[in-house]
Amino acid sequence: MALNKTSRKETEVKIALAGNPNSGKTTLFNELTGSRQHVGNWPGVTVEKKTGHAFYKEYALEVIDLPGTYSLGAYSEDEVVARDFLTAGQYDLVLDIINSANLERNLYFTIQLLEMGVDLVAVLNMADEAEKKGIKINKHKLSQMLGAPVVETVASKGRGIENLLAETIKNRDLTEPALEINYGAEIEDLITEIAKLFMEYDFTNQVNHRWAAVKLIEHDPEAVKLLEREVGSSKAKKIKSLIAERELKAKDDFDNIIIDKKYELINKIITESVKAPAAGQEPENMSDKIDAVVTNKYLGIPIFLVVMWAIFKFTFTLGDPLIGYIETLFEVIGGWAGGLLTGLGASPLVASFITDGIIGGVGSVLVFIPNIFLLFLAIGILEDSGYMSRAAYIMDKVMSKLGLHGKSFIPMVIGFGCNVPGIMATRTLENKRDRIISILINPLMSCSARLPVYVVFAGALFPNHGSTVVFSLYLLGIIMAVVMSGVFNKLLFKGERSHFVMELPPYRFPTAKGVFIHMWEKTGAFLKKAGTIIFSVVVLIWVLANLPLGVEYASANSFIGHFGRFVAPIFKPLGFGSWQAASSLVFGILAKEVVVGTLGVVYAAGETGLRTVLATQFTPLAAYSFMAMVLLYTPCIASLGAIKSETQSWKWTLVTAGYLFVLAWVVAFIIYQGGMLLGLGA
Amino acid sequence: MPLSMLRPGETGWIKEIVGGRKAKGKLNDLGFVSGKQVKIYRSSGGPLIVGIGDNRIALGKGMAHKVIVDTEGCEN
Ligand SMILES: Nc1nc2c(ncn2[C@@H]2O[C@H](COP(=O)(O)OP(=O)(O)OP(=O)(O)O)[C@@H](O)[C@H]2O)c(=O)[nH]1
Ligand SMILES: [Mg+2]
Repeated sequence: MALNKTSRKETEVKIALAGNPNSGKTTLFNELTGSRQHVGNWPGVTVEKKTGHAFYKEYALEVIDLPGTYSLGAYSEDEVVARDFLTAGQYDLVLDIINSANLERNLYFTIQLLEMGVDLVAVLNMADEAEKKGIKINKHKLSQMLGAPVVETVASKGRGIENLLAETIKNRDLTEPALEINYGAEIEDLITEIAKLFMEYDFTNQVNHRWAAVKLIEHDPEAVKLLEREVGSSKAKKIKSLIAERELKAKDDFDNIIIDKKYELINKIITESVKAPAAGQEPENMSDKIDAVVTNKYLGIPIFLVVMWAIFKFTFTLGDPLIGYIETLFEVIGGWAGGLLTGLGASPLVASFITDGIIGGVGSVLVFIPNIFLLFLAIGILEDSGYMSRAAYIMDKVMSKLGLHGKSFIPMVIGFGCNVPGIMATRTLENKRDRIISILINPLMSCSARLPVYVVFAGALFPNHGSTVVFSLYLLGIIMAVVMSGVFNKLLFKGERSHFVMELPPYRFPTAKGVFIHMWEKTGAFLKKAGTIIFSVVVLIWVLANLPLGVEYASANSFIGHFGRFVAPIFKPLGFGSWQAASSLVFGILAKEVVVGTLGVVYAAGETGLRTVLATQFTPLAAYSFMAMVLLYTPCIASLGAIKSETQSWKWTLVTAGYLFVLAWVVAFIIYQGGMLLGLGA
Repeated sequence: MPLSMLRPGETGWIKEIVGGRKAKGKLNDLGFVSGKQVKIYRSSGGPLIVGIGDNRIALGKGMAHKVIVDTEGCEN
């Protein structure tokens, strides 16, 4: 089904990467297009389609990376994205990315594409792992049996890319007939009859008719919908009852026969084209040995907590001295710029803009680059190692007490980096109810944007117990997530319970490239955020701090002061009723780092550093209460946007924004008032 | 008997998958089809870890009940 070329140049080629989850599609996509998309060693990393461009000789390739899927059955949102794209047929060629070390299951998907009539190149990726296992694939034979070109690659090492591009170009106009599997007399007769009815009913859809008939026999809901759309429901009903009638008469279940026949074909292909060491003879492999410890009934959760603690320690212990340096640097620049500007005769207003506004505001946030960098380095290693799906396994027991299951834990871990991809990662959850609950609790995972707030307050008020204090906030977030999913589970609609199934891929040594991509992309995003939204808000606040004209900078009578004083009473019972704290929280909804930026501006922290100021303005108890507030309250605009687009509902977006504010207020109230009662107020 | 009855280290052969369209489809996709040999790697406490060839798949108890296996038969 090559694309209609008339409207395009002969040298433009559009290809899509499809295949089983975790087979290396995105790694290959990055190699082909020079993109830096997220790669990770667990199934379900990519959840939306991404486009990139590659050039080869005179050809311009448009390359589309799709979420992985085991079949065209599409049980979850991410799989629907892949299925819809593949069935719509708007491409010249599909590169079917196959894990060579796991041929049987990967070919099950290949066969489905071929049956649908998709023109594809079979890409035997992970050829290195197949080789290590002693699997030898006769590419020529395989190609012959599939009726499709076969190419070998090792995407993670960039091997075979050139050859893949050459094959892609060579086969860009490939038009092979669809694969036909003989399903035995009973089913074949039925297919013929359905095809006849298609003709009679004027079923003109461009999909392969035999494929559509097989799908109908399998009771594929999408195929039924398509049929109803094309021929109307009464005629569709006739076809459906024909199938039902035959099914009753048949000895065996048609579904089972169809699957068995597919596997029969796959086994035939494998016997003839693959040489592998006899199954069952292999010694227990490395991954199994690691799993024996890591997934142990008693050790699993403690090991997970140790891993989290290690990531956390790594981020802070290594980051702290670096922050110190950068902070000093900014202070020096701040003092120096202030002096220079006044010396040059710049108006005090300009000097204040640079020192209080830019350096005090944006600088206060930029100081945290080392932490962000290290956090994402650690998360990158975690994601690339294969531990993520083990974490899901370990947490299944806890999660199922909350009415969720282990897979829902992965979006939570991703949320520690940023809640937006965390919310998007819920697409892999099949059950709508699981998905909504997972989305609602994701903002409780303490993301990297909250980190600057913790570090600055912990540094200012808990100089000796900083990391314990911050770790306790991460735990607070997790505990609240657990509590709230329990609550939502009770309150919310009682959907069907879904069950946990997840592949545990072999552990892989994190690739430098994969990890660095993650780190650079995220640090880059942080810088971009600092340069755009944080910068703009900081400028706005600086302006508000200087108005009305003639007011003393950042005094209670400035616009921002008035605004802050108006809101402050809400926060007074929580221990931070100052107008500065109040306005920082309000603006912090734009992006959580803005809390720090705002405080930097309103406390004119450019020359002294924010920590020094905060130490005089907050008590430790109030600071802890404030940090809990920042952790739990209304998520940032970007997260709310993601919630809106993922749930397609304003209701859930507002529910999240509202319940989190109330929750945060209550928790901060308990912390502060409880602390006062216990005499911790000093 | 259901797969969930097997103990760690034991193997079985899949006889059939019972249950709804969705659960069955999902299991089929991951390679749980009749005739396949499966080995249990872990079964205490939480979900099972099941081996099909070189694949390791975590399987919740509910799903494991839907996979019916034979323990003898093709053994040599
Ligand atoms: N050894 C080896 N590892 C590879 C190869 N290609 C990719 N990987 C690793 O396999 C894992 C999965 O890679 P991804 O590119 O994220 O896989 P994907 O197919 O996009 O996965 P989903 O988005 O979840 O469908 C990563 O850990 C890669 O580093 C390869 O050729 N050899
Ligand atoms: Mg991917």
